[in-house]
Amino acid sequence: MRRAVAFAGALFFAGGALAQGTPAPSEDVKLPSEKNPGEEVIQRRPGQSEPLQFFPPPVDPRQVPAPAAAQPRETLPVPDRWRIMQGLGYRHPWYDPYNQNVLKGDLPISAGSDWFFNLSAVSDTLLEARRLPTPVPPQASTRAESVDSFGRGKQSTFAETLIVSLSLIKGDTTFRPPDLELRLTPAFNFNRSTAQEDRVLFADPREGRTRDDSHVALQEAFADVHLRNVSPRYDFDSIRVGIQPFSSDFRGFVFQDVPFGVRLFGTRDNNRWQYNLGWFRRIEKDTNSGLNDIGKGLRDDDTFVANAYRQDFPALGFTSQATVMFNRNTEGDGQHYDNNGFLVRPAAVGDERPHNYRVSYLGYNGDGHFGRLNLSVSLYAALGRDDHNPIAGRPQDIRAGFAAAELSRDFSWVRVRVNALLQSGDKDPFDGKATGFDAILENPLFAGADSSFWVRQAIPLIGGGGVTLSGRNGVLASLRSSKDEGQSNFVNPGLALLGAGADFDLTPQWRLIGNLSYLQFQSTEVLGVLRNQAPPSRSIGWDASLGVQWRPFMSQNMVLNASAAVLLPGEGLKQLYDTGPSGPLYSILANLLLAF
Amino acid sequence: MPLEGRFAAARALFFLAAAALGCSGSSHDASPPCAPNCLSPANFLSDTDVQRVISQAVGEAQARGAAATIAVVDRVGNVLAVFQMTGAQANVAIASGRGVLGGLEGVTVASTLAAIAKAITGAYLSSWGNAFSSRTASQIVQENFNPGEAQAPSGPLYGVQFSQLSCSDVNTNTTQGSLGPKRSPLGLSADPGGLPLYKNGALVGGIGVIADGVYGIDLNIFDVDQDLDELIAVAGSSGFSPPEDIRGERITANGHSFRFVDSESLASNPANAPAFGTLPGALVLVPGYVNASVSAGVAFGTPASGYGPATGTLGALGGFTLVDALNLPRFPVSAGVGPGALLANEVSRILEEGLKVAPRSRAQIRRPLGSAAEVSIVVVDLNGDILGLVRTPDAPVFGTDVAVQKARGALLFSLPNAAALIAALPAPIAGYVSAFAAFVGPGGALDGSTAWSTRALGNLHRPMYPDGISGTPAGPLSKDFSTWSPFNVGFQLDLVFNQLLDGANNDTSTGCAGRAAGADASPGPLPQAKNGIQIFPGGLPIYRSGTLIGAIGVSGDGVDQDDMVAFLALWNAGLGNAPSAMRADQLSPQGTELRYVQCPQSPFNGSNEQDVCAGL
Repeated sequence: MRRAVAFAGALFFAGGALAQGTPAPSEDVKLPSEKNPGEEVIQRRPGQSEPLQFFPPPVDPRQVPAPAAAQPRETLPVPDRWRIMQGLGYRHPWYDPYNQNVLKGDLPISAGSDWFFNLSAVSDTLLEARRLPTPVPPQASTRAESVDSFGRGKQSTFAETLIVSLSLIKGDTTFRPPDLELRLTPAFNFNRSTAQEDRVLFADPREGRTRDDSHVALQEAFADVHLRNVSPRYDFDSIRVGIQPFSSDFRGFVFQDVPFGVRLFGTRDNNRWQYNLGWFRRIEKDTNSGLNDIGKGLRDDDTFVANAYRQDFPALGFTSQATVMFNRNTEGDGQHYDNNGFLVRPAAVGDERPHNYRVSYLGYNGDGHFGRLNLSVSLYAALGRDDHNPIAGRPQDIRAGFAAAELSRDFSWVRVRVNALLQSGDKDPFDGKATGFDAILENPLFAGADSSFWVRQAIPLIGGGGVTLSGRNGVLASLRSSKDEGQSNFVNPGLALLGAGADFDLTPQWRLIGNLSYLQFQSTEVLGVLRNQAPPSRSIGWDASLGVQWRPFMSQNMVLNASAAVLLPGEGLKQLYDTGPSGPLYSILANLLLAF
Repeated sequence: MPLEGRFAAARALFFLAAAALGCSGSSHDASPPCAPNCLSPANFLSDTDVQRVISQAVGEAQARGAAATIAVVDRVGNVLAVFQMTGAQANVAIASGRGVLGGLEGVTVASTLAAIAKAITGAYLSSWGNAFSSRTASQIVQENFNPGEAQAPSGPLYGVQFSQLSCSDVNTNTTQGSLGPKRSPLGLSADPGGLPLYKNGALVGGIGVIADGVYGIDLNIFDVDQDLDELIAVAGSSGFSPPEDIRGERITANGHSFRFVDSESLASNPANAPAFGTLPGALVLVPGYVNASVSAGVAFGTPASGYGPATGTLGALGGFTLVDALNLPRFPVSAGVGPGALLANEVSRILEEGLKVAPRSRAQIRRPLGSAAEVSIVVVDLNGDILGLVRTPDAPVFGTDVAVQKARGALLFSLPNAAALIAALPAPIAGYVSAFAAFVGPGGALDGSTAWSTRALGNLHRPMYPDGISGTPAGPLSKDFSTWSPFNVGFQLDLVFNQLLDGANNDTSTGCAGRAAGADASPGPLPQAKNGIQIFPGGLPIYRSGTLIGAIGVSGDGVDQDDMVAFLALWNAGLGNAPSAMRADQLSPQGTELRYVQCPQSPFNGSNEQDVCAGL
C-alpha cells in the first residue's frame, strides 16, 4: 500500500515535465499511456495476467475544481523526490531511524545522487552459564586430591559484540533492485570466559581459569553488481563478490557461514524461481569469538553450490529447494592449532594423520505451509571420499544421510511444534565406508536452537581425544575438534532427535518458548573405539529448555532473550561421563540485542 | 506408541532411504581371537616356525638388497635364534635423530643386541588382546602423545624403554634356563622393526630386525614410513601376524590410536621364501642370550615359561605369578624385614584386592571393547625386596619388570633417607637431589615428608613442566629439552646408565642402580632400585599410620588403570593410601600442582560408576 502511494506521488511530479513535451513512448511499460478522461483505461500487469478493466467515474465539477496547469511559482522547490517531506518542513533528528534518515538508505547521500548509504549497528551482549563434563588436566591438577578424571564443570562466558554494517547502494531503491551495493560489516568482540579446571580455556594449564580475549572481525565485505533485469517484473541476475553470508537451506543444517565467495544469483518467473550458483572459500575463524579472522587468511576449503528455490511448489504457500553442494577440503598438509593452543586440524583423534576429503551434498529442502499446518523439511545425502579418515586409519567412501522435519500449527497465540531429526551414524569405524553424516558448517535453527543444551553446548569426549560429541551451536553428533575450525568427520555416532515445543505469544512484548527433545545416538561403536570401552548405550537423554523473549518496544530494536536448558542424561551419557555428583548439566543464556 | 518405538519406525524409514543411497555397515568379529585356547600348551613357536620366520625375513632383505640381523624370541623373551646375514653390519649406532648428545645417544652397540631388544619389545608389549610393536613403543615414550602434537602431555609409557634391563633382578638370563621373563640387552626398543608373532591367535613371540644401521625412534609419526627394518620384520612375521582386530591401530588411549606398522608393501613373497639351509649368513652366538642355534619357544603359562598359576587365595582369584624351575613361586607372599614392616597377610590382602579390581576394570589397550584390564601387581618392602607378585593371566610381559620398577620408584623417593641415598651415588646422579629440592620447593626435600607416586615423579621427570607444554623448563629429574631425547631422559637413565652399558658388554650381573662403570660388586649401592625405577603412573608408596612401610606397583593395561588398581587395592585391603596431607598433589612446584593418581573415566565394565577414587 505504501509503495502504491509513493508511486502515485512520483508520477505527479514526473508528469509535469512530460506534459510539456512529447508523449512518452507507449511501449514503456512502466508508464501508463496518455488517455482521455472517460475513456476505458486498460491496466496491465507485466506478465501473463488478464488486463483489468477500469472506467474512471465522471468528474463532478461541483465538488472538485478542474486541475490547473502547473505554474512555476506554485510549485515548491525540493532537492529531490525523496525530500518532499523535508520540503514541507518535516525534519527529523539524524539518529532517528524510524523516519526518513539518510543513514538508513531512505534518502540519497546528496541531492540529485542515486547513491544511498545504509548504516546499521547491532550490539549483542551475551551472558552464559553452563555445566559440562570437564576433565582434570592430566599433567597438573587444579586442586589437590583430584584423583579421578573428571573435575568441576561450571563455566561461564560473557561476550559483547558490536556489529556495524555499512552499505553503499547505487540505484533507485524504491522502484527496482539497486544497481550496485558495496557493503562492509566489521564486528568488534570482547569475551571473557571462566572455568573451574585448568586446561579448559588454554592448553597450557598455567594460564589459569579466566580468559579475556577480543577480536575485530570482518563479517561482510562484498560488492553486489546487478547484472541485468530479465523481465518486466524485475527478475534479475546479480553477482556478489567478497565476504558474504550464505545459507545452504532454510534452517542452516549444512552450510551457514560468512565465507569469501562469488555468488551468481537471481530470480525468474516473477520471483517464483530463485537460484544461486556460488563458489565459497571458508575464512579462518577466531577461536573465542567464532568470528572471521582475516589475519589468518582463507582455509583450503572450497564449496561449490548450485541451488534453486521454487515458490508455491508443490502447493501454494510452500517453497521447495533442490541443492547440490560440493565441498572440497585440502587441509591435509599440516596442523592447525586454535588460539588457545589446542590442535584442531587434523583433530587430535585416531591416528591424527592429516587428511583431505571431498563431499557432494544432494539436498531437498522445503518450507512453508499446507493450509494451517506449517512444515519445514530437510533431506540430504552426503556422498564422497575421505582420503584418510584418522579414526578409520584408512581411505573411506562417504555415504551418509540426514533428514529433519518440523511440523507446527498455530492456535491463536500459541504455536505448537513437533520436530524430528535423523543423522546417519557409522556402525563400523574401520571399514571402507564412512556412514556418519556431517555438515560443512552447520548453524541449525532447530529444536530450540541455542536455547537447547544439546545444540548450544559442546560436550568434550573426555578421554576419547580432542573432539566433542556435537559442536557449539550445532546439532550433529559429528565428533569434530571444533565446528568452526575443524574438518568434517564422517565416522561418527549419528543422532536421532525427537522433540516437541511450543511458542506462546503472551503479549506483543513477551514470548515464551519451550522445547523438550529426546536424543539418542544411532550407533555408539565409534565412541566405544575412541574411549576403548564397551560401546555405550545409545541414549543421550532428554533436553528440556524454556526461553523467554522480551521486546519492550514491540520491535527488533531491543530484544532480550533468556533461556535455561538442562540435559537429563540417559544411560549412554552416564556410561561416558560423571553426570551425577557435581550437579545437573545445564545451559543458561541471557542475550540482549540492541539494533540501530 | 512409546517414544522408542516411534524412533524405531522413523529409523527404519530413514535407513530404507539410506540403503537406497548405498549406505551400509559391517560389524567386526567380537570374540577374542585365541579364545578359549589362549593358554593352550600347543601355542608356542617350534624350531621350524623360527626357521620360517627367519627365512621370510631374509627373503625380503634380499629382495631389498639389504643385509639384516634378525632375532626371534618367544613371549617370555627367550631368544630362539639370531641370524646375521652375510654383510650385515656388526654394530649399529644409537641415535634418536634429535641431534642431541648424551645418554645413549651416539653409543655403538652390537646389531645382535639391537635385534634382540626389538624382538623382545614386539613380544613383551603385546598380548592376546593387543598387538603392539617397537613402532608403538616409539609413539608412547616421547615428549608429547602423540609425538608432534604440541601441548599434549607426554607418551603414556614415558620411560618404559628403560625396563627389562640386563641387570634386572626380576628378569632372568640364560642361567635360569627357559624361565621368563628374560632381560633385554638394551631395554625396550622404540626403533621400528620389532613385531609380535602369533599362532592360533595367541601371542607366541616376537621378531626383531635391524638392517638400516641406526637404532633410533620415529620422530614423525604422521607420515607413512617405508622402514627397511620394519618391512623385513613384516615379511618375517608373515603367517604369524596378529588377528586384525587386536592390532594397535584399533586400540586407543585418550582417543589416539596406536601405530603398529606403517607399511606392509613387501618386495618379496614370503610364501616363496628361500629354504632356511640356503640362507646367506649364519646363526650367531650372543653371550648371555642365545647360542648359534635355533630352538623352540616355550608355551606361555606352562611352568617352563616362568609364568604359571598362583596358588592359594591368589590362585583362587585366577592369579598367575612367576615360578621357578620347580614350579614354585619366585616371589611368594612374604613379610617385610624389620620392625613395623608389612605383614604377609597385608601383602596378601593387597594383592588379592588388586586381583579383584583388575577384572572389573575397563582395559585401555585391549580388544575386543569391554575387555577386562590385565595387570601385574607387586608389593615391595622398604628395602625394595619383592614381597609378592601376582598377575592376571594375559597381562603383557613387560609389566612384570615395570610393576617392580614402579613400586621401587615410588619407594625410593618417598623414603625418609631418599636424599641421602641418592646423594651418595656417583655423579651425575647425586646432583638431582639439590635440583629436585630447589625446583619443587617446600615438600621437595626427599626426607620422607612427601608421598611420591610415580605419576607425580613423572610430572617432574619430563623435559617440559608442565608436561608437554612447549617453551617451559624441564622438570628437575629430566634433561633440559635441548639435550633431551628418549635415549637421554635424565635421572631414570643416569641411575642405571653404567650397568646398562656394561650389560651391553656381556656383564650379566644383577643390580642396575648407581653402579660404577666396569667390574663392580653386584647388586650395587642402591638395592631399593635393583632393576631401576619407572617414571610413569602405577607406583604408590604404602603407609601405615603415616609411616612408610613399602610400595605397590601395577602395570599392564592403561596408566590410569594402573593407578586405580594400585590405589583401590591399598584402600580395599584396609591399609589405605598415603595420608592426603602427605601426597605429592599437595605440592605446587613452580606454581603448577602435581598429580598423585588419576583413576580412569568409565573405570569399570558394565557399570556407570565414575570418580571411584574420590575421597579414598
